[in-house]
Amino acid sequence: MAASVPSVQEKWTGKVREVTLGALPADGGTRGRTVTVGGENTLPFLHFEGEVPHRPAIAIEIWDHPPEDWSPILLEAWGDVLQDVGAWAKKAEEVGADLIALTLDSAHPEKGNTSGEQARATVRKVLEATTLPLIVYGPGQVDKDNEVLVAVAEEAAGERVALGNCEEGNYRTIVAAALAHGHLVIGKTPIDVNLAKQLNILISDMRLDLDRILMDPTTGALGYGLEYTYSVMERLKLAALMGDSMTQQPMIVTTGFEAWRAKEARVNEGVPAEWGDWTKRSLLWETITTMALLEAGANIVVMRHPEAVKKIRQVIDKLMTKA
Amino acid sequence: MGLSGLAIYKLLPKTNCKECGFPTCLAFAMKLAARQVELSACPYVSDEAKAVLDAASAPPIRLVKVGPEERKVEVGNETVLFRHEKTFYHPPGFFYRLKDDEPADAFAARLEAVANYGVERVGIELKADGIALQSAAGSADAFGERAAQVVSAGLPLVLIADDPQVMEAGLKAAQGMAPLIYAANAENWETMASLAAQYGAPLAVFGEGLETLAELTEKIKGKGVEDMVLDPGTRGWSDSLAAFTQLRRLAIKKNYRPLGYPIIAFPGEGTEDELEEALLAGQYVAKYAGFIVMDHFDPASLYPLLTLRQNIYTDPQKPIQVSPGLYEIGKPTPESPLLVTTNFSLTYFSVAGEVEGSGIPAWLLVADSEGMSVLTAWAAGKFDAERIAKAVKSMGVAEKVAHRKIIIPGYVSSISGELEDELPDWEILVGPREAINIPSFLKQFAA
Amino acid sequence: MPAQQVVYVERGALLQEAIEAAGIPLALPCGGQGRCGRCIVVVQEGQVRRRSVARLTPQEVEQGYALACQTLVEGDLVVYVPPQEERIVRLEVGLAAEKEAPEVVVCEHEQAPWVAKCHLKVDPPSLADNTTDFERLQRELVRQHGITGLVASLPIMRKLAGALRAEDWEVTAVVEKGTWASSQGPPRLVDIRPGDTTEHTLGLAIDIGTTTNVVYLVDLQSKALLGRASAYNGQISCGEDVISRIIYSQRPGGLEHLQQLVLNTLNGLIDELLAAHGASPEDVYFATVAGNPTMIHLFLGLDPRHIRLEPHIPTVNHPPPVRAGELGLRIHPEATVDCLPGVGAYVGADITAGVLRSRMSEEEPITLFIDVGTNGELVLGNKDWLISCACSAGPAFEGSGVVSGMRATVGAIQEVWINPQTFEPTYETIGNAPPKGICGSGMISLLGEMFITGVIDKSGHVNRSLDTPRVREGPGGGEYVVAWAAETEDKKRDIVLTEVDIQNLLRAKAAIYAGMNVLATSVGLELEDIERILIGGAFGKYIDIEKAIEIGLLPDMPWDRFAYLGNTSVQGAYLCLLCPEHRAMVREIASKMTYLELSADNSFMNAFTSALFLPHTDLEQFPSVREKLRNVERLGGS
Repeated sequence: MAASVPSVQEKWTGKVREVTLGALPADGGTRGRTVTVGGENTLPFLHFEGEVPHRPAIAIEIWDHPPEDWSPILLEAWGDVLQDVGAWAKKAEEVGADLIALTLDSAHPEKGNTSGEQARATVRKVLEATTLPLIVYGPGQVDKDNEVLVAVAEEAAGERVALGNCEEGNYRTIVAAALAHGHLVIGKTPIDVNLAKQLNILISDMRLDLDRILMDPTTGALGYGLEYTYSVMERLKLAALMGDSMTQQPMIVTTGFEAWRAKEARVNEGVPAEWGDWTKRSLLWETITTMALLEAGANIVVMRHPEAVKKIRQVIDKLMTKA
Repeated sequence: MGLSGLAIYKLLPKTNCKECGFPTCLAFAMKLAARQVELSACPYVSDEAKAVLDAASAPPIRLVKVGPEERKVEVGNETVLFRHEKTFYHPPGFFYRLKDDEPADAFAARLEAVANYGVERVGIELKADGIALQSAAGSADAFGERAAQVVSAGLPLVLIADDPQVMEAGLKAAQGMAPLIYAANAENWETMASLAAQYGAPLAVFGEGLETLAELTEKIKGKGVEDMVLDPGTRGWSDSLAAFTQLRRLAIKKNYRPLGYPIIAFPGEGTEDELEEALLAGQYVAKYAGFIVMDHFDPASLYPLLTLRQNIYTDPQKPIQVSPGLYEIGKPTPESPLLVTTNFSLTYFSVAGEVEGSGIPAWLLVADSEGMSVLTAWAAGKFDAERIAKAVKSMGVAEKVAHRKIIIPGYVSSISGELEDELPDWEILVGPREAINIPSFLKQFAA
Repeated sequence: MPAQQVVYVERGALLQEAIEAAGIPLALPCGGQGRCGRCIVVVQEGQVRRRSVARLTPQEVEQGYALACQTLVEGDLVVYVPPQEERIVRLEVGLAAEKEAPEVVVCEHEQAPWVAKCHLKVDPPSLADNTTDFERLQRELVRQHGITGLVASLPIMRKLAGALRAEDWEVTAVVEKGTWASSQGPPRLVDIRPGDTTEHTLGLAIDIGTTTNVVYLVDLQSKALLGRASAYNGQISCGEDVISRIIYSQRPGGLEHLQQLVLNTLNGLIDELLAAHGASPEDVYFATVAGNPTMIHLFLGLDPRHIRLEPHIPTVNHPPPVRAGELGLRIHPEATVDCLPGVGAYVGADITAGVLRSRMSEEEPITLFIDVGTNGELVLGNKDWLISCACSAGPAFEGSGVVSGMRATVGAIQEVWINPQTFEPTYETIGNAPPKGICGSGMISLLGEMFITGVIDKSGHVNRSLDTPRVREGPGGGEYVVAWAAETEDKKRDIVLTEVDIQNLLRAKAAIYAGMNVLATSVGLELEDIERILIGGAFGKYIDIEKAIEIGLLPDMPWDRFAYLGNTSVQGAYLCLLCPEHRAMVREIASKMTYLELSADNSFMNAFTSALFLPHTDLEQFPSVREKLRNVERLGGS
């Protein structure tokens, strides 16, 4: 007679909100497809106790000017398309991106200080080059973020672009732009469950619908604080499943950016032989970081290397397969 | 599930005699609840209370030890499902699979590579853990011989063989090394169990499906074998995740003893290439494996995996810290301003964020305050003149910064005098108390 | 009293409109939202419809009370509009949100204080009865007062011969029957005086606060409290908080200097009290002292440095009794100065005394005791167990570290209402004087209003897009003007609350709330399990529970679970001065109190950031505040 093993299926009362990026022509946009994330009512990939209606999406990060300080491995992998944001977007779509994450890096005061007008032109170009939904990041400097993201919001009105990043001290302008032009926002907080929740509350207090908010809990790369992000995401996901409404936003993590900042991925000179082959190590740095955070509950991963993207796509396929 | 401090307190003598080394019975009870002290420290606890408390404190997952004392791999004894709930205690061991029919040279070379692999990361030596020796020749002699070779390299062993005779040869060669026997199954469990008992070796149990597995472990336990390791038979991504999660939940949440053992996993099986094997091994690190048997040895994958293991098994109860050091915010030049703060993560993030937001590139020196915020660290003497001076001297600040002005947080203005003594060449400037005021301060400063 | 007036309004108009039409001034501090209850009127005849009866009891509604801003005219009415002062008075007494501290605590125990005066008529010696003076005194004490085994120090022995003979062998012996260190004696002769001087047997209860020192002058015979005096601790010039003082004490001569400063402060207070009661220092025979561990260390001249450094070890939790003369306290030099027992580095005698005063350790209900001072200390428990922690709240609620902050004295803004449409404030000051600053209660009130009316968002950032000159960009970020310079006492500076102030206040309230949470969870309880909350500390005369809940300083519980006890530290010292039984109780409290070190507790950090929001990241914990926010939104606030 078989042993009777008790059931350990959890009865979660909450679920992650469904958020859709991009708008089809019928809905006032020009995208060829939309991407919906979230909606799960169980922990990542636990098909035995709940539904995971949407697979996590992979966004590929592209810049509006050639990223000179990127790792040579990345520069080589992308080649000439780095010179042209439209070509880059197209190529990213080809190698398997679900979303294009455009960073308007050239708007940074120290990196060109380009204007809102230029941002409009760039976004227009990317919208024309790809049919995928967009995420658009400002250069990460408060005043310039506000300037270029407001311009982008107007230019891409109705496209349901995810605008990032809103932070606790600077969210009103970006949220107002998203409200006015039918976009989404990304709220970014420094590795803390409470701060993440607080920013969601502040944003929704401005009457932006909750199905238009993504949260970025701040990514720590493998070896550089991964465990903090990992646990904060697990806690947010658990809170969401337990019915805490203000933690139910899908999560987006920038694993490509963070992993490729790590010394292990960036350089090969003067490092211990025990670190092994540079290219393989770098790819693993990005993919392990991404894999770990997918298992902690990431709904969108923003990646950089085309090979890493392929590998992660394969992993997601398998994780989405019910046993 | 453990008892709360108050529930335990009610079972204690409540005399506050202090003989346990804690000032009150309640303090002792809380330590007991946190499993940081043994009940035996209380000389006056009643037998009745002892019985209740012992039952509540038995570990839900058995601690299993493999290998010689010097390089032992100990797994199990976990108490939580998620690391943030407390911590994960015993990191999984990475065992590299070698087959006993490999040519002698190749075998020796791979054995040596595994045995000698070691690399330091944040002050901790990371190593590969052991060898999983698989019988491929079906010969007891070959198996025994190769096992002896691994033993002489001093590495912990997993012995993989279906044939009890072959297995026994391996066990003989590895006496006193507590090798893990892989595996007992529905057919061979009786002989494997008696081998495990005879050689005092832990026994992995293979059974497809949790019911089968539970049934087997109960039977084997009936034969007197206590140290077991589970293989629920899953190999791929989502099925392993489901099975391992259920095993962990059964142990932790249901205290289900028949499946209260560590898990063994084989990421090389069910994956398409080395890269994917490494990634699946990563899933196993995060999600509940105790032993991970790898098919491909390569430093380029082992190093990231050991790093992942180190990350996941870091105690999350410690405050979130950033590494002390000299950080560049924006693209600072040697003339850019220099600020100093503590290495508590939220402090760092708010200071760095405001500096960045100001648009003025700057150097941010993060001193080691053991993860405390400015005021807390100052109060505890962890962010004083001495520590700041040490940071200035040890982080190569003088080479990167041309000027000699350092901006300290307004909250520690009182230490500027002492800091002048410690850093006679430097001018000490008192910055704002709150990060929010940094931009206006920097703008004034730069003007 | 204004004459009767007749006005005509449409059916369905608000009473408030009718009153305005009659030209009767009616302040609407909360903007006519039925929040503050300041527009209360009495409907004497006729039909009205009340939209809201907030702040009215059913009995009051029965009696015709109504809020002018929430009540609709349904027909002909006779309405009485009380004058403004009457309305305010009624609110303070009638509504339970504001908790006032009781005047004084009483000791119900029968036992006499340890120090007592014994009036004696001694048989003069003779050649036949040549017993020595001291043995003679001993003999008479046994015979007349049952006191055996008297001992005396040399200085008193020197006075003996003279004293006995000065008034023909009639003397008053001051006897200390025991101390905590030897409660069974032997009895000690503290003083001997010629004649009968029993009318003056005085003692002192002293609270050495980091910011404020308080002295009670007590008659040990009658147990009556004769007078109270308080002043800033003279050590403030050497630093505002305990850590600064500890650092100061490490300078050469620093410790001695700090000790002298606090002695000067105390001696000044003692002189003041004695002068007011026509007594002399020699009449004071006993003093009990409460204070936090650092204050006690500095008072006794003990090096406090290890309190600050890990693992935070005080020299002693329960210092031995000392003679006043040794210490330099200006009372009888032979008087015992008795510091009450503490628990750990940051939970001291002020807290054990507070717990004693609160009575929580004698009773069944699970009680939380909060002492809000420069530090916030919390004690949770009941008669069976006690657990405590200290959270560094900072001095914001004492009016320090806040631009316009001040202590709760005349001219302090203590209550504020903000109109949610115009964002204009209405405030009330202590003594109704022109405002000088904002005290702790005022800050709680102001912060609550700014939050409820949307002047700040839930993270405490000022909403710059509001259309009002009250909100502006100041030197250190956004700020809100409570009073223009022209309204203030010195007419010089606007009274503002800045974003930095708000962050300080948020941190202070978050530390206390987080401390409560961690303390409760540490023993496996929920906040809801707490049956009552007793508050001590420096809020001044009262604390507004409603507003304190609004900002998330106190948990959202029915107001009747709260009580405000005032300065519990000195009251506990007072009880210990009066009877040995309380003395034993405070030792018991100290010995059974478990100290939880929050810095060693990661869950505190989490609870803290969670509480660093208005009212809290988890709004579910504050249902009454959620309700209020909904109402303001419904009524058209921002």
